[in-house]
Amino acid sequence: MSAPLIWILIPFVVGFSILFFLHQRFAPLIAGAVSAILALIALIFPIDTALLLGSISIKISASIQFFGRSFALNTADGPLIAIIYGLAAMWFFGTEASGTANRFVSLGLMIVALLTASIAVEPFLFAALLLDMAAMLAIPLLVPIYQKPGRGVIRFLTYQTLAMPFILFSGWMLAGVEASPGDVGSTLQAGTILGLGFAFLLGVFPLYNWIPMLMEEASPYVTGFLLWALPTFTIIFALGFLDRYTWLRTSPQISNAIQFAGVFMVASGGLFASQQKHIGRIMGYAAIVETGLLILAMGLKSTEVVNITFLLLIPRGLELAVWALALSIIKRKAYSLRFSEIQGMARSYPVAVAALILAHLSMTGFPLLAGFPSRLALWQELARQSLATSFWVFVGLLGLLIAVARTLAVFVMADEKKAWEWNESWVQTTMLGLGVIGLFILGMFPQTLQPFISKLPTLFEHLGQ
Amino acid sequence: MLILISCSLLFITTLALMVLQVTQPNARYAWLVAVGGSLLALISVFMWLAQAPFDMTLPAWQPQTVFINPIQFRADKLSWPFALSITALTLTILLTAITRSAITNSFTWAGTLALGGIGLLAVTANNPLTLLLVWGALDITELMTQLRAVDGPANNEKVVISFSTRALGIGLLLWANIVSIAQGNTFDFQSIAPASGLYLVAAAGLRLGVLPLHLPYASESTMRRGIGTSLRLVSAVSSLVLLAHIPVGSLTSALTPFLLGLAIVAALYGGWMWLRAPDELTGRPYWVISLAALSVISALSGSPLGAVAWGCALILVGGALFLASVQQVWLNRALLIGVWSLSSLPFSLTASAWLGSLGFFIPFVIVAQALVMAGFVRHALRSAGRTSLESQPGWANKIYPTGIILLIVFQLLLGLTGWDGASQIGAWLQALLTSLLAFGLVWATPRFRVLNPIRAHWVSPAMSGVTTIYSSLWVIYRMLGRVSQSITVTLEGEGGIMWTLLFLVLFISLMT
Repeated sequence: MSAPLIWILIPFVVGFSILFFLHQRFAPLIAGAVSAILALIALIFPIDTALLLGSISIKISASIQFFGRSFALNTADGPLIAIIYGLAAMWFFGTEASGTANRFVSLGLMIVALLTASIAVEPFLFAALLLDMAAMLAIPLLVPIYQKPGRGVIRFLTYQTLAMPFILFSGWMLAGVEASPGDVGSTLQAGTILGLGFAFLLGVFPLYNWIPMLMEEASPYVTGFLLWALPTFTIIFALGFLDRYTWLRTSPQISNAIQFAGVFMVASGGLFASQQKHIGRIMGYAAIVETGLLILAMGLKSTEVVNITFLLLIPRGLELAVWALALSIIKRKAYSLRFSEIQGMARSYPVAVAALILAHLSMTGFPLLAGFPSRLALWQELARQSLATSFWVFVGLLGLLIAVARTLAVFVMADEKKAWEWNESWVQTTMLGLGVIGLFILGMFPQTLQPFISKLPTLFEHLGQ
Repeated sequence: MLILISCSLLFITTLALMVLQVTQPNARYAWLVAVGGSLLALISVFMWLAQAPFDMTLPAWQPQTVFINPIQFRADKLSWPFALSITALTLTILLTAITRSAITNSFTWAGTLALGGIGLLAVTANNPLTLLLVWGALDITELMTQLRAVDGPANNEKVVISFSTRALGIGLLLWANIVSIAQGNTFDFQSIAPASGLYLVAAAGLRLGVLPLHLPYASESTMRRGIGTSLRLVSAVSSLVLLAHIPVGSLTSALTPFLLGLAIVAALYGGWMWLRAPDELTGRPYWVISLAALSVISALSGSPLGAVAWGCALILVGGALFLASVQQVWLNRALLIGVWSLSSLPFSLTASAWLGSLGFFIPFVIVAQALVMAGFVRHALRSAGRTSLESQPGWANKIYPTGIILLIVFQLLLGLTGWDGASQIGAWLQALLTSLLAFGLVWATPRFRVLNPIRAHWVSPAMSGVTTIYSSLWVIYRMLGRVSQSITVTLEGEGGIMWTLLFLVLFISLMT
């Protein structure tokens, strides 16, 4: 059995089968269980290494050919796949609690499979195609059947699709740049076009306006899932670029541009979040800030680029999952998620509100919560390079703190006679409770991530050298 | 290890009480368990003296190349007086709880013990990372406790605002970290960059409500005497401990006199309101703010030990007063020993408070301190609103005063042997003038209407928009709101994509 078959084909087929053949009730359990099993396999069985179980020798081969293209997952990819499918399992198990439609788990599993293919495909430029396919597959999730797509959905698709030609075109140009690295003109052109491609993919300012729009029009759980999955794989794809092309890694202009884009996203996202009166849009802006932090981490002139990037990536999945689940529960009661409709809800949905606030605090980098260690690490590295950049990151996170304070103030603004109630179901309470415990564990003991992170630098041979 | 033992004793007792409350809600020995746990914790803190200084380091965060500073706690001559004060306060709250049995239960005792444990961790934090984590735990605990305790939109809003200001204090401590690292220093208390010193004072000041002046706490009426006292005082001391760690050399800045001025305004305001508060519980936020301000003044004047002294006074003197809910003439008189502790006279608890240089701020400091002392005398001798021990069983007549006396004895003890540099003659002339002024105020209080109890309105609890600084911030916030609204409407409207592409081209041309 080859690794791409296990981690790309099987989940894709399972997702497809769930969509057409499986009863709605069992879909989240099956998808979650499959993802969890795939994560465990990735963790236990090393790829391309023979493993002796008694007299039986098991070996998962690394690559497979498909229409002339190669899909390869190596030993170093194991922890990464475990992280991805582990987090995906968490999203799928939470589906029932969130009340999201059945097709989320099937299409979601297919999206994760396609995105995994994007890190396995060779030549790696084809990842842009796979990322775009994943974005297209997300459209049925975002638009209910027989409904006209909203403006946010159209922009999401437009921008994700526009990214593909830019990246493919830059790939063609990069070959020329490698051949003649002294040609400043073509280097600049290639860098700009590549940058544009990633700006569209990651939603760099001002291309991120689809995110808050989408949070307003679509299901928060589905949007949250996309806000986790797409940037995660895009960042890995971008790290691959940086690792592969020396001139990209060493160019101070590129590094400055990356940092500028990141800091602009963090500061503007935080400031916009502080002004919102819709808790879904606030989550959208928080996701933008988080992506900005990831871009900043990529632009670090430090040997810790990979470590810090993945320290940011893993808690991000948990934070967004908890936040999106809490939002979905609240949205059932307050459809529009505007401040005027959620006022005083802390007394009727205490668990969902507490989970939402803690996830939000985690994203602001509040101590003791999952987001804190990664932000601390990033800040320490940034401080060594530029105090001004650190200041704007501080401003962005301050914006998020203002947003959480406003949200909390609205949630607790209940009448004096309003009694405390517990309207969440046991499944919802358990899922949110586990998520919150996870936030605290990652915040207090970030070393729990070490078994996953320690081997990841080997994925990128040149980064951090 | 001993730090772990003391904290574990408090946390395990907390857990035991919670289990008892759930499994045997009517268990009569729950109080004994609580008192036993806190007594053992107090004894274990005394045992620190045998080994101090010593460290407790938790398993390092990984990757270690990224996280340089470990989570570390340290018992030394700076943290010990704070630790002793906190454990003594916890024990006293439980000992005096016998008079409040009608409204307390195992959960509130458990809360008191847990707060004591977190307080111990805060005062022993040996680097800012550790302190940040403990502050985080304390703030989340306090937020949840208060949100459950208060009712009504206005009170809930105050709780959120007070949480936000403390979170901002955490942000300032982080910023001090960044500034220190940017200058090539690591971030532990031993090697803080000089440029970070003022940010640290501002962080502590913000959390305490001193810089800028605001009341970080919600209305006191809803918080009970026992756990309310623990919450207020332990929370304040966890911030004050930061002041004790700031190296003197890092506070020499052009901004120092400005901050000193702000702290003196806070001390004068707090002292004035404390003196005129109708009762000690209403005046509790002003007590905290005035003593915290005096502590900040000590630190800014170059006397970090003074910050320790005021921190201990905040807990021990304040704790004795706030927990004294029973009318006993001799006990009320014994409480007056607290005046000695607050006086800065030789060999008193606060004798080392003014070893730094106050310059031309001395008269203001004297007035502020005298207001605090006079207010203390007035509240200690006030009998109205206090109950009697007559209805209590015989053993309660002995246990209750023991709790109060414990805090009074520790005031005297720490003044003599609390830390290196205790048992001082100090600035005796300044202390004498302060004491004379305080007695003058005590004499004048019943005779002059202006000194009579009244509620003030010029700074309302944790409200913004009153003073100029808050108004300016509000104007900036609203201006940003209008700008962000315009940008959002432009980018998300019909022509949004065209505008976006235009912006993009603009950025690219700017960058290339």
